[in-house]
Amino acid sequence: MTETTRNPGGLVESRTGFDPRIIAFHGLIAVLLAVLACGLVYQQIIKGAIHHEQERLQNERRVIVPGPRGDIFDRNGRKLVENRSRFAVVLYLDELRQEFRQEYIRIRNNYRASGDQDLPTSAQLERLARVSVVQRYMDQVNAMLGRTGSVDGGSLQRHLERQLLLPYTLIDDLKPEEFARLIERLPVRSPLQVYTSPTRSYPYGEAAAHVLGYVGANEEADVSELPGEGLTTLKMKGTVGRDGLEKQFDSLLQGEAGYTILRVDPAGYKVNPPIEIRHPVQGRSLTTSLDIDLQVAAEDAIGDQTGAAVALDVRTGEVLAMASEPGYDLNVFSPHLSVAAAADIEARKAWTNIALNGVYSPGSTFKIIVSTAALRNGVITPEDEPADCDGWMMVGNRRFTCDNGLGHHGKLSLSDAIGYSCDIYFYTVGLRTTAEVIAAEAKRFHLDRPTGIELPGETHRMLIPDPEWRRRKRNETWNPGDTANMAIGQGDVQVSPILLACFAASFARGETWTKPTLLHDPKRPEQHTEPIGLTPKQRAAILKGMEECTTEGTARVLTTLEALRVPGVRIAGKTGTAQIMSPEGRVDEAWFICFAPLENPTIAIAVAIQGTRPGENFGGGQEASPIASAILKKYFEKRRPGLAAN
Amino acid sequence: MRIGRSQRFDQARPFVVLGAALAAWLMAPVALRSLVRASFFEMTAPVAAVSSYASDVERFWSLRLHSKDELIEAGRDMARLNASYSLEVQQNGELQAQVERLEALLHMPPSERYRFEHARVARRDFSGWWQRMVIRKGSDYGIAPGDPVVYTGGVVGRVAEVHAYTSVVELVTDPGLRIAAVVDGDTRPVSYQGADNPVFGPPHGIIEFVPLDVYASASAPKRLATSGLGGVYPPGLTIGRIVHVESSADGLFKTGEVEIDPRISELTEVTVLVPTDPG
Repeated sequence: MTETTRNPGGLVESRTGFDPRIIAFHGLIAVLLAVLACGLVYQQIIKGAIHHEQERLQNERRVIVPGPRGDIFDRNGRKLVENRSRFAVVLYLDELRQEFRQEYIRIRNNYRASGDQDLPTSAQLERLARVSVVQRYMDQVNAMLGRTGSVDGGSLQRHLERQLLLPYTLIDDLKPEEFARLIERLPVRSPLQVYTSPTRSYPYGEAAAHVLGYVGANEEADVSELPGEGLTTLKMKGTVGRDGLEKQFDSLLQGEAGYTILRVDPAGYKVNPPIEIRHPVQGRSLTTSLDIDLQVAAEDAIGDQTGAAVALDVRTGEVLAMASEPGYDLNVFSPHLSVAAAADIEARKAWTNIALNGVYSPGSTFKIIVSTAALRNGVITPEDEPADCDGWMMVGNRRFTCDNGLGHHGKLSLSDAIGYSCDIYFYTVGLRTTAEVIAAEAKRFHLDRPTGIELPGETHRMLIPDPEWRRRKRNETWNPGDTANMAIGQGDVQVSPILLACFAASFARGETWTKPTLLHDPKRPEQHTEPIGLTPKQRAAILKGMEECTTEGTARVLTTLEALRVPGVRIAGKTGTAQIMSPEGRVDEAWFICFAPLENPTIAIAVAIQGTRPGENFGGGQEASPIASAILKKYFEKRRPGLAAN
Repeated sequence: MRIGRSQRFDQARPFVVLGAALAAWLMAPVALRSLVRASFFEMTAPVAAVSSYASDVERFWSLRLHSKDELIEAGRDMARLNASYSLEVQQNGELQAQVERLEALLHMPPSERYRFEHARVARRDFSGWWQRMVIRKGSDYGIAPGDPVVYTGGVVGRVAEVHAYTSVVELVTDPGLRIAAVVDGDTRPVSYQGADNPVFGPPHGIIEFVPLDVYASASAPKRLATSGLGGVYPPGLTIGRIVHVESSADGLFKTGEVEIDPRISELTEVTVLVPTDPG
């Protein structure tokens, strides 16, 4: 009941009583409050974590900074690839919000004051204001550096829309003196700052370009393990290995990315200091087995010719040099490969690593395989003189000639036949040994498969043919002429320079296989694989022939020419010349394989040089052995310091 | 006893007035605030100058209290010093002439020339936030903001503000000052910046962008000098000694610590290098 009384002032005074309507009203309020409380509990406690996460995703941004890549060294600790710092002057746009606003108002007022009826839209005014403010900062930098740069409105707009929190680069790749001027003249707390980023640098320029490889831009850095999953993430460009060791060991060289988690306002501008920061860490370094002195010597010796040279440590299989020409200066890739530079490399056909991907007939270097096969199978003894070379012989109804020397070697022992590279001797021995046996011997030396060296893209086009292969692949029969051709490393036999270098190293050790590696390990144990299977006398006969090759045979220039002589070092070698098809026609391919010192070999080399003109006088002795000589000279000069003086 | 409403207001009045004054200051136009700040400095500057002059007089009279023999001895020492300085000035003049001849022969552009303005220090202002000093010369001597300030030990800092008769010098130990420097025996520029220096601690700074092949330690420190590349300081002025360097995590550079000559906090006289051709 509610009673009301009218007091003298005319006000109505109410008294609360037991009015059911009021109670019902209170009840209703209580229920509503309870609903609100439940809603509050539901939203705050049950769904609190979801809201918190949504707020976090909306208000926080993650900026990823890739870590610099690790360095690459040669076996003696000299830096082959390093990071060069690249200085840029950048503008932190997220600190300019107030200036953008003021400039916006100023421009709008100017338009209004001028009475211009065609007032730009708000978005246009905003863009104008931003470009104007950034250009003002650019002008400051221009005045300090004496430049005349201007702001690209389009790129600025894109940056503002997509990467507001990342610094906007005004001028990239500053010179040291420009860096110094900016350091001294820019206020410490200016939105303009000098920004450093790493870029690859190659102190030896072209040296080992194909082995070291190059890097390209990487915008897809793996950030899955970094905190801040789900946040809008802005990534600064990193790099990824695109070829060579840079590609093969990308995960090792790749630095550890750093990150910054920032709080932003609804417009995307940074507010407050960063919530979390972790600086990037440089990737791990790689020590290669290359000896840069040998590498440079090999490349200089090849010069303008097209070809390759591979030098291996006989005992461990470590690659001491792997040269391939034509090459390219790796510094043209840093920071970016220009279209012109790429076109130049393409025009010179310099992309290919011939040492790894070039496949050619091995020519007479294959005679070492034929000799081994014949000796092991008892077809000949070292003293046998199975042929009398008078320059030619008939195999079936086809005439085969001896292309080495004067073509009249007469009767020769195995050693002399190797030394003078008598084709008639090897046609005869090859025919007696049979193609199957020769092919099996070549396969025993792993000449039919890739070496598995730690470089991407090694060729699989090497080939050791036999009658079965011919029947299966071409549905053709194998005839004696094919065996004769195979016996001198011609026909379908195809190998790469790295394969022949491995063969030379294996033969030097008296074994059949050498696993090449580009990684240097001072404690690497000596390699030991299947023994070659020759008696000491048999092996000595082949070695004698190989030494004869470098003293009086096809590679005698190594001892007769003072400039090519390696004093005090006995070299076992074998030349070879094969024919390949080029756009100009059939040209010669000159080979030379060797190892030294003969009495205790430590280095094995394979050189392949491509002729340029059809019909020119081109051979392993004249064209390829001088390159091996340059490598050997440098190698022994380092091991025996007095050698250079001699 | 209950406090009346008006009494409570009286008690709060100072806070209200202070709040109102602060609000008025914050809402005042920037130009007005700058004018007030500059005027305040100009008005208080004579106080610092007078105080500095008074210290000079006090020092003068304290020296006068020495015995005549001591003064005669000091006079002789000074005469010797003057003579040796005169000789050095003469030698410097000859070297300068030689440098100019060589520059002319090589057709090199003339190096930057400075006029030397010697100024007494009126006040030092060292705090965790900034490291500054006030000198007793200002725009009346042609000093301009940005002019380098040096002393016999090397770099003092850079002129930050110029008033009619005084200037504020930002010291080399101030975190806001950055110099393009070179490590002794190297030509690659590195960045030197003042560090957060404790008020009574030894002054120091930091260096960044130091090439990885630069080594220095407390037992084998290296001299850090101005590079001359930045365009503010002439080359070769000592900044300090690098006593520590370490590689940064990204492996691109080293960072390090530079020990500054402690005399910098006791200077009574400095020299401002005023460019003779400011353009």
